[in-house]
Amino acid sequence: MNEKAYYGQFGGQYVAETLMNVLNEIDEEFEKAIRDEEFIREYNYYLKEYVGRETPLYLAENLSKKYGTKIYLKREDLNHTGAHKINNVLGQILLAKRMGKTKIIAETGAGQHGVATATGCALFNMECTVFMGSEDVKRQALNVMRMEMLGAKVVSVESGSNTLKDATNEAIRTWAKTAEDTFYIIGSAIGPYPYPKMVKEFQSCISREAKKQHFEKEGRLPDVVMACVGGGSNSIGMFADFIDEKDVKLIGVEAAGKGIDTNEHAASMARGHIGVLHGTKSYLLSDEDGNVQLAHSISAGLDYPGVGPEHAFLRDSGRAEYVPITDAEAMDALMELTREEGIIPAIESAHAMAYAIKYAKEMTENQSMIICLSGRGDKDVNTISDYIAGKGYLN
Amino acid sequence: MRSRIEEHLSKLQKKGEKAFITYYTAGLGGMEATRQIIEAQKGYTDVIELGIPFSDPIADGSVIQQASYEAIQQGSSLRKTFELMKDIRDSGSQQPILFMMYYNTIVNYGIEAFAKKCDECGVDGLIVPDLPLEEQEELQGAIDKYDTTILIQLVSPISADRIPVILENAKGFVYCVSSMGVTGGKGTFHSKVIDYLSDVKKHSKIPVMMGFGIREAKDVEPMKDIIDGAIVGSHFINLMREGNYNPDIAREYVSKFKREIQLTGGRSFCQPLKRNEDN
Repeated sequence: MNEKAYYGQFGGQYVAETLMNVLNEIDEEFEKAIRDEEFIREYNYYLKEYVGRETPLYLAENLSKKYGTKIYLKREDLNHTGAHKINNVLGQILLAKRMGKTKIIAETGAGQHGVATATGCALFNMECTVFMGSEDVKRQALNVMRMEMLGAKVVSVESGSNTLKDATNEAIRTWAKTAEDTFYIIGSAIGPYPYPKMVKEFQSCISREAKKQHFEKEGRLPDVVMACVGGGSNSIGMFADFIDEKDVKLIGVEAAGKGIDTNEHAASMARGHIGVLHGTKSYLLSDEDGNVQLAHSISAGLDYPGVGPEHAFLRDSGRAEYVPITDAEAMDALMELTREEGIIPAIESAHAMAYAIKYAKEMTENQSMIICLSGRGDKDVNTISDYIAGKGYLN
Repeated sequence: MRSRIEEHLSKLQKKGEKAFITYYTAGLGGMEATRQIIEAQKGYTDVIELGIPFSDPIADGSVIQQASYEAIQQGSSLRKTFELMKDIRDSGSQQPILFMMYYNTIVNYGIEAFAKKCDECGVDGLIVPDLPLEEQEELQGAIDKYDTTILIQLVSPISADRIPVILENAKGFVYCVSSMGVTGGKGTFHSKVIDYLSDVKKHSKIPVMMGFGIREAKDVEPMKDIIDGAIVGSHFINLMREGNYNPDIAREYVSKFKREIQLTGGRSFCQPLKRNEDN
């Protein structure tokens, strides 16, 4: 057993033998890169000049007043391409370049990671193929268009549930065939080691900045830090620099879909069992025969039956708490943030917002929380409009 | 005690025969059809791989993906396949049979309970394509408590310096993946397949079998002097599907393949490979 590949009992490298040398090469080069000042300088250059970091830590004035506590939003929605995904893509693409790879593949659910990858490939002149479940291709037509404009080939995956899980299967299969010249950029905090570690490293700018910004504004650490969790990339980035700060409460918000007591949710923490999917051991929604169950969430980015291995460890060790939020609660929060603050969040991020509103009632005026606003809602306008039409939401 | 797979392959070795192995997805066309297809291969197929269908078969190409999906829809599962195995053993069959399955199915069943059940039902071996050497400790420990089930090692064209390490304690036979990627394909083997197979053969104390992309005995003609046997999966499934799961078609195909693979005129089974002599 390769111990460094594990977070407690979670993680590992559950992949075909074909990929083991590939993973070892990536691991070696990644460890060198993050100790290489030139690599870090180049990465930080693109984060600043291309992505537009640092992103603001905005005190949501109206919500803070309404709920009687300080609610800060870490504005990842203001990044180039509209979400946190680009942070990780630039890190991995610079690593791919360093390794001499010329082709990039990626999976995508909501399309944000696909768009970010296609963007990075346009910038660095790499050949890009993005795998996307055919269901998501329909739900996220705008992002498909963006990826194609950026020069990426979008492969619509027709197998299983036709969503993120199946797109990931197909990306892994293609990778196993082409790993000699192709780098696979995983967008979530999942996959075989060292992927969960890489994604965390390249998303940790979120918490590094937020911690500093909160100090500047409040002169202390926040009481609570919160983020939505599908596979767990924005949340692991939001937690990273606070994990060792034991007084800061960490809360991950997973998608409860139509409710965790129905069969339509994506709450792998609340309702999953330990299992192995996409190269990693973690909590997983599976049936009694061990087949992976279809996840459901109104948000394509949270519609995933597993969760990153470090999150599973953070939960079992008691360091972080994970709570479910339903489609309906998330959509209410989305509208509330839009009306109160003039910010239309991604439906993914609205899950974190919904729990923040609930949790604010337990906090005092002088306490503060940071919510990771992982992405903006432009991509979701069609989904939101269907939801409102179906539910008569505005009435 | 040696497993049924090891016993049988050692008999072949004495006879100087090459081995033939098929893969079939358990429950495709129903459990009864599966039982008949296994039965029909008696005397021809040396080892039978039964695939336990899984929802997310990442090491498989489109044929086995579809077969797994259909088998699940038709009610197939690990539990049902254990029942089938028990019936097969109760009927007195000594055919070497192994399970090819994904690790999640084992974790979900419970690793210790799974090993015990394999012993009870006479499962001779396991191929777990998403369980590389580094992750095998727990499963290996569990099956080692019984003398029945062995874990088969896989190697790939880019395993390189991992090959000797993987083969050190390998049992039964070594499964050489002929190409990068997934099961199936059109006999397009990795460009350096001969060098790679020779390297595996050089390090292996046990028979070396090649799989992925093989349809007919002639497909392995170029490497006949190196390998000890061939594995056919996707093509066999296509044949069964097209033949409406008729066991006679299975028998016809496997008897022909087994006959033809002996006629390659190459080095007989399991003799050491003389790489640096005579050429």
